[in-house]
Amino acid sequence: MRLNEVSMRRLHTLRRWLSQGTEPMLLFPGLTILLLGVLWVATVSLVRLEYANARDTATTTARELTETYEAQSVRALREIDRTLKFVAYAYASAGDAMVLKDLGDNALLLPSFLFTVSIADANGNIRSSTNDGGPTNVAEADYFKAQRGQPVFAVGLPQRDPLSDTWNLSFSRRLDHRDGSFAGVVIVSVDASYFVSGYEQTKLGQQGFLGLLGTDGIFRASRSGTAVTAAAAVDYRHIVPEVEEEPTGDNLIPVSLSVNSWDQVRRYTAARELYEFPLAVIVGLAEKEQLRPATARARSYLLRSGGTSVALIALMFALGRLSWQLQKSRQRAAQEQLAHARHIEYIAHHDSLTGLPNRGFFSTMLEQSLAVAKRYNHQVAVLFLDLDRFKLINDSLGHDAGDALLKEVAHRLTDAVRASDIVARLGGDEFVVLLPEKCDQESLETVARRVLAFVSKPYNLLGNEFRITVSVGISRYPEDARDEQSLLKNADLAMYRAKGKGRNNFQLYAESDNESSLERLTIESALQTALERQEFSLYYQDQLDLSTGRVTGVEALLRWQHPQLGVILPMQFIPVAEETGLILPIGKWVIETACRDCVAIQQASGQRLTMSVNLSARQFTDENLPSDLASILKSTGVEPSLLELGVTESVLLANVDRAASTLGEIRALGVRVAIDNFGASYSSLSTLSKFRFDTVNIDGSVIRDFEHSPEDRKLTEAAIAMGKQLAFTVVAEGVETQEQAQFLRNMACDKAQGFYFGHPTRRNQG
Amino acid sequence: MTQVPILNALRIAALGTLLGIAGNRAMADVVAVVSPRNPATTISKREVSNIFLGKTNRFPDGTPAVAIDQREGSAQREEFYRGVSNMQPAEIKAHWSKMIFTGRGQPPMMVDGDEQVKKALASRPDSIGYIDRAAVDDRVKVLAVE
Repeated sequence: MRLNEVSMRRLHTLRRWLSQGTEPMLLFPGLTILLLGVLWVATVSLVRLEYANARDTATTTARELTETYEAQSVRALREIDRTLKFVAYAYASAGDAMVLKDLGDNALLLPSFLFTVSIADANGNIRSSTNDGGPTNVAEADYFKAQRGQPVFAVGLPQRDPLSDTWNLSFSRRLDHRDGSFAGVVIVSVDASYFVSGYEQTKLGQQGFLGLLGTDGIFRASRSGTAVTAAAAVDYRHIVPEVEEEPTGDNLIPVSLSVNSWDQVRRYTAARELYEFPLAVIVGLAEKEQLRPATARARSYLLRSGGTSVALIALMFALGRLSWQLQKSRQRAAQEQLAHARHIEYIAHHDSLTGLPNRGFFSTMLEQSLAVAKRYNHQVAVLFLDLDRFKLINDSLGHDAGDALLKEVAHRLTDAVRASDIVARLGGDEFVVLLPEKCDQESLETVARRVLAFVSKPYNLLGNEFRITVSVGISRYPEDARDEQSLLKNADLAMYRAKGKGRNNFQLYAESDNESSLERLTIESALQTALERQEFSLYYQDQLDLSTGRVTGVEALLRWQHPQLGVILPMQFIPVAEETGLILPIGKWVIETACRDCVAIQQASGQRLTMSVNLSARQFTDENLPSDLASILKSTGVEPSLLELGVTESVLLANVDRAASTLGEIRALGVRVAIDNFGASYSSLSTLSKFRFDTVNIDGSVIRDFEHSPEDRKLTEAAIAMGKQLAFTVVAEGVETQEQAQFLRNMACDKAQGFYFGHPTRRNQG
Repeated sequence: MTQVPILNALRIAALGTLLGIAGNRAMADVVAVVSPRNPATTISKREVSNIFLGKTNRFPDGTPAVAIDQREGSAQREEFYRGVSNMQPAEIKAHWSKMIFTGRGQPPMMVDGDEQVKKALASRPDSIGYIDRAAVDDRVKVLAVE
């Protein structure tokens, strides 16, 4: 079983390896190695074959040359011997050395210009010779001494002729007297070169060798190239193998490749002992010369194979590279496709502006979280966030600033929550935070407070510093809702309650939110038609000079009388009007109506009463405000200095520079400017002092509070004192009792208004 | 040194020839001669050379040719071979040495002096020899060697 597993694994590995082999990274190098292998195996075997052929040829040639040389040598020696025997016979017949002359004249001897035939007497004295100039006594010569015993064919040692620097060979036979006694010798002498004159340079080359070696180991003649020599001594048996008598079969002459001892040249050497003479023939073919053509061919093969290899490698490299690039580009394309798909998916799931998950993705995640929470009895909470007065920013600074702000808010939200929490953008200025764990009240409040704190830090956008706040509604699973949609809806409702509670706070969902949301929906739809149906009206509250008690002006207050809903308070519908943008036409109507009434009041009373109108935040940042104002002043004919527009501190602080320029433009029209609700929140006196106000309206809460404790009294005093620093006129609002009026009078407050002095009244139309 | 290159021997022979030329006998003018009965009148150097070096035994017209050589060392011989084959005596010796050893031929018959050549020609009409121009008489016919 184990073995089987192992083999299966091996098979798998092999298959994978094979499939990898088709990849260009392995295919081309592999193919290259394979082709190179084939090429070089073929080349090497071809080279080997060349050398083997050359060696065979050399061996065969050496053998053939030896056979030829043997035959030639034997014939030459026989001829010499025949001459010797012939002379010896003639001498025996004539008994006179003069026989030579007769034989020579009749051309019966060997050609005299090559051979010298001589007769020596028993003492070695030359008695007759076919050529002059030879030695006169040969008694000491080996070929002479050899004939003293048995008659033989004697081969003398080579003799050097000092004059011509050539080597001479002498052969002899014994001459007998008639009685058989020693009469001398007959000698044939010949230049040693004669025995190597068969040297063919075409076959033997410059380094070949022909040699006639005596059985005594002394070379009688030898030749290599054109150099002829003799007398070198060698080990005969070492060179000439013993002739093995083989009655059957071919008696091939053995050829050995060895370094010749006499001249250190490596040759294919063959030697043959002559049958009837004490001599052997030796033929040598220099290995270097014989293998030269083979070497040249081998070199050309190697060169060609080398060239082919280089070309092959270059080709394969080029192909491999191309293929690799192709594969790379394919990979890249695939990766790009993948990246594109991922990007598409990302886009589908994320908000393009902030990079946060979008509504769809959030919905999926919320669904999953709820499923997990149901399974494990966990809690899940959703924070619904809506930026306060975001439209204001968008309208006043443009969409680029709005987008930058949203990005920054997204960033801060992500920083404010835990890593496990999910921040998403539902669209516009709506964000949600999903808290999938730790959803007890305390944790939720901590997170919500962090969100409020992080968002409300100042922003620096396009060179302007401003502030924005956020309203947060929170709903929880399973307490507030059990499904995704209800959870989101309830958080949204809680958020509206937070808006209603003055923004910049958070609210946990409560059952009542559902009811108020109904009301809100109704208000929103009712507001759409309220202007057309003339459901709005203005009431005027008197402002009195505290020192004289005379009425000096009025403040316009907006009332909405709905046919079905009855009177709807500004605090109920103004936030809705702000959110929907309906505040702009409503606000414009308010100013226009107030101005018209102002003119009418003056005509009726004959007094120059001022008209105070409060501007909403959205109204104040509307860039058309100054031009609208100018056209209203013109159409109503109201005296601009009688009109006073009030703005709250928070509106001014949202964008200080912009507010300052707007205030300037309003003042340029001759219209007075008041700061509203002064003292209601912590004021930044240093910032406010940058603006120029005509009037400071002290908030009613400041006036009401002064009686509670000495500390509150001091605060009220301080607020009035600060107001005096900021403007020429200080007006106390919401005065309800005589004590308050008296206190204000003591504080030298300029004017006051409130129920103590009279309830707001509606001016009779017409 | 026991080795004596043939080339050296040739040089020595050539030197000898030069010395000979410097002497009196070198001025000899040698001509190729045949029997007056021989129909040949002209022969090329190469054909003469081939006959004397044993490479052929026929005249250009196909009739048998027997060369009559002069003794080694004679001025006529040296002059003749130098003229027709540009060979030194040592080269001729080497040539015949090889011819004999390899069994391809025998050197021509050698006679002593111009007179012997004339005699031989008289007895053998298919012969060809060479003699000093001064020795030419009506027993021989001079071949024009081209």
